[in-house]
Amino acid sequence: MSIRTCLTALLAASALVAFHPTTSLAAPKTELVLAIGGEPDDGYDPVLGWGRYGHPLFQSTLLTREADLSTTPDLATAWSLSDDRLTWTVKVREGVKFSDGTPLSAKDVAFTFTETAKSGGAVDLSVMESATATDDETVVIKLKRPWITFVENFYSLGIVPAAEYDAGYARKPVGSGPYRMVSWTEGEQLIVEANPFYYGKTSPFTRITFLFTGEDTSLAAANAGKVDVVSVPATLADSLPNGFKAVIADTVDNRGIVFPMLRNEGKTDAGGYPIGNDVTSDIAIRKAINLGLDRKALVDAVLLGHGTPAYGPADGLPWSNPEGRLDEDVDAAKALLDQAGWAPGGDGVRVKDGLRAAFDVIYPSSDSVRQGLAVMLSEQMKALGIEITPKGDTWEGIGRLKHANPVLFGWGSHSPQEVYSLYQSDWAGIESYNAGYFSNAAVDAHFAEAQAAESLQASYPFWKQAEWDGKTGFSAKGDAGWAWMVNLDHVYFVSECIDVGETQIEPHGHGWPITSTLQNWKWTCN
Amino acid sequence: MTIWTRFVAIRFLRLALLLAGVAVVAFALAKLSPVDPVTAYLGPNIAKVGPEQRALIAARWGLDQPVTVQFLHWLSNLVSGDFGWSATYNAPVTAVIGSRVAASAALMGLAWLLSGVIGFSLGVIAATFQGGWCDRIIRVYAYVLASTPTFWIAILLLMGFSVALGWTPVCCAAPIGLLPGEATLLQRLHHLILPLVALSILGISQIALHTRAKMIDILESDFATYARAQGASRLDVALRHGARNAALPAITVLFASLGELFGGSILAEQVFAYPGLGSATIEAGVRGDVPLLLAIAMGTTLFVSVGNTIADILYVVADPRIDLASDAALREIGP
Repeated sequence: MSIRTCLTALLAASALVAFHPTTSLAAPKTELVLAIGGEPDDGYDPVLGWGRYGHPLFQSTLLTREADLSTTPDLATAWSLSDDRLTWTVKVREGVKFSDGTPLSAKDVAFTFTETAKSGGAVDLSVMESATATDDETVVIKLKRPWITFVENFYSLGIVPAAEYDAGYARKPVGSGPYRMVSWTEGEQLIVEANPFYYGKTSPFTRITFLFTGEDTSLAAANAGKVDVVSVPATLADSLPNGFKAVIADTVDNRGIVFPMLRNEGKTDAGGYPIGNDVTSDIAIRKAINLGLDRKALVDAVLLGHGTPAYGPADGLPWSNPEGRLDEDVDAAKALLDQAGWAPGGDGVRVKDGLRAAFDVIYPSSDSVRQGLAVMLSEQMKALGIEITPKGDTWEGIGRLKHANPVLFGWGSHSPQEVYSLYQSDWAGIESYNAGYFSNAAVDAHFAEAQAAESLQASYPFWKQAEWDGKTGFSAKGDAGWAWMVNLDHVYFVSECIDVGETQIEPHGHGWPITSTLQNWKWTCN
Repeated sequence: MTIWTRFVAIRFLRLALLLAGVAVVAFALAKLSPVDPVTAYLGPNIAKVGPEQRALIAARWGLDQPVTVQFLHWLSNLVSGDFGWSATYNAPVTAVIGSRVAASAALMGLAWLLSGVIGFSLGVIAATFQGGWCDRIIRVYAYVLASTPTFWIAILLLMGFSVALGWTPVCCAAPIGLLPGEATLLQRLHHLILPLVALSILGISQIALHTRAKMIDILESDFATYARAQGASRLDVALRHGARNAALPAITVLFASLGELFGGSILAEQVFAYPGLGSATIEAGVRGDVPLLLAIAMGTTLFVSVGNTIADILYVVADPRIDLASDAALREIGP
């Protein structure tokens, strides 16, 4: 009896304390605590890949993207591409200093690009021939072939000081970005403060602590009022702590299934595993699945409403073409299958020439969202007479199965390079890029035109044509190489006193991308 | 002298063989594992990186060499005291481990000591008052906790003490936003409390249950009955005659649990963002960072193996009837 009273008392006490307001409304804060993950194990070295998402903090880049993804110059004041599309000439801003007070010149920019190309990090500059500084303000970058997506590096590659760069750089970065490192306790927290030499817009927040806690602990920290911003998985998005508001970022963090495009003719890939699938190689099946998917229901059931329907790999980005999508229509899907000779069989599954419209869809078994999507897909496709068996596997298993079975993948990037990797025929069967062996000469031709465009802006129409040019494309209306399903929302709990402004359409990877607009954040309480 | 020399020599030889075996097997397992270090390294960047760049990354880490060459290269470096380069952390393995081992050692050492002392005391108390309410509470506590995963306990503790009550910090080894050098000893201890409790709870139940079973045997033995007949209370017998005998299984369990303790600390460190070896171990595994994984595996082997040797020596101290000369007796538990 005494134990029970004790427990009841404890519970009551904890409940009382829990409902106390946790955020104090004092003077404008200049210090922030963020629990949004994103700790780079190998340090803050752009040459090895740091800063590919969100804000590089310590370094600055040649160009930046605003919240609406429009381009603004940062370290670059002018940039132009030669008529043969092989030479970029970039003018570098004058009077910029690194956080140690030394000046930044074109030599540092050239050094960063050259070093990155040979360092073997996560940045692919293999298309670059050379980068040289012709004087203190001019960098000339030569490419091996026309390649407009190279410009992505202008947005994401932070410039490092040539004189300071060495093996220890990643743990004590020096750059021209808005912040400089105060301390980094690996696995625990990163503390940064405003860089007094920063040339750009200064933020009202002069000291920021990034906590590298797991999702559950981060949410607990928000409940205890210890953090100002925390990233939360969609499944926890409804448990808003006191004193916080939810900020929901649209994304191209997509999920979809890739269809094997070839018939199974006994061919194998480099590893000896089969290529092709007789059912999904039929375009009627691929289009019918795209027509028959109820994407809204997927969002509601699997993502608890925290997502948007996906129709392509880059929904909402300037190089995606909404014209290529097929509107959901179950009757049209059935009619299409009837027309293609897929007749309803005795067990409800359609049959054509003795072949049942049945296949497995493979998902990584560690990912509960993808499992949910695969199961819902299977349920929805029953209505069409297509039998889909969801099967979970390890990534290694998926590696063996991905060329002969549809796989539930996730992508999403701020560069059209990703679209190229997914649908270009040269990339068929290489790693996980074009796993379905998608091949369409017209799409390849549009990609080549896009890569040879005079600017990224000018390349957008060609990427759109690759998706759908009125006759063909990689979209559902065209060859339907994928059935894109959903884009995941990225949910952040933000202190009621902070205005983070407009958020970007975020890429794959939840957490750090919210820092891309860090400079615009404001404290709104008095 | 001769017995001890032989004992130490044999133990060293065994340890050397064990380490060699662990190195070969761990290396082979890591290489057979489905994890592709380059893919794991790239993560979401994967679609921006072409095959040429992947080859460049593999070359940077020496993964373009045949597996046997990689192993021999690693082994020859090891002999000269170089544990290799951690691809995950882009730093020497010794630096990665060195910067994390102190925090882990404090956490695990204290947890180990606490679980030993508290577990043994609870076991003795439970056996002394066998069948009473005290015994029942301790038994229920032990059974429930023995079947509870550490991370779950850790999250519960966090919700209760850090969020609802606000008594303890939510994370980290030092206060949020404070430089590592600025934290006082008191603040550090404050941050150690929850991870320590989460980790100790696991060990306590096992030791308590083993001690209890042994102590009940002792209390029902002839010499205990004789002592009771002379007027000693159950508690007297337990403390004066039983404790030393009952210590043997406790010592065994305590030292055998070193491996489990290491595993538990990984989870506790993850939950509390406590910057120890735990997250480094997980990262090394999921990203196929072989040099780091091997160093941690061999360190753990050394740690558990030395622990077991100490247990064997302590048997002799606790019970002089155990003969060090005979190997069979070394492993025997109790009289």
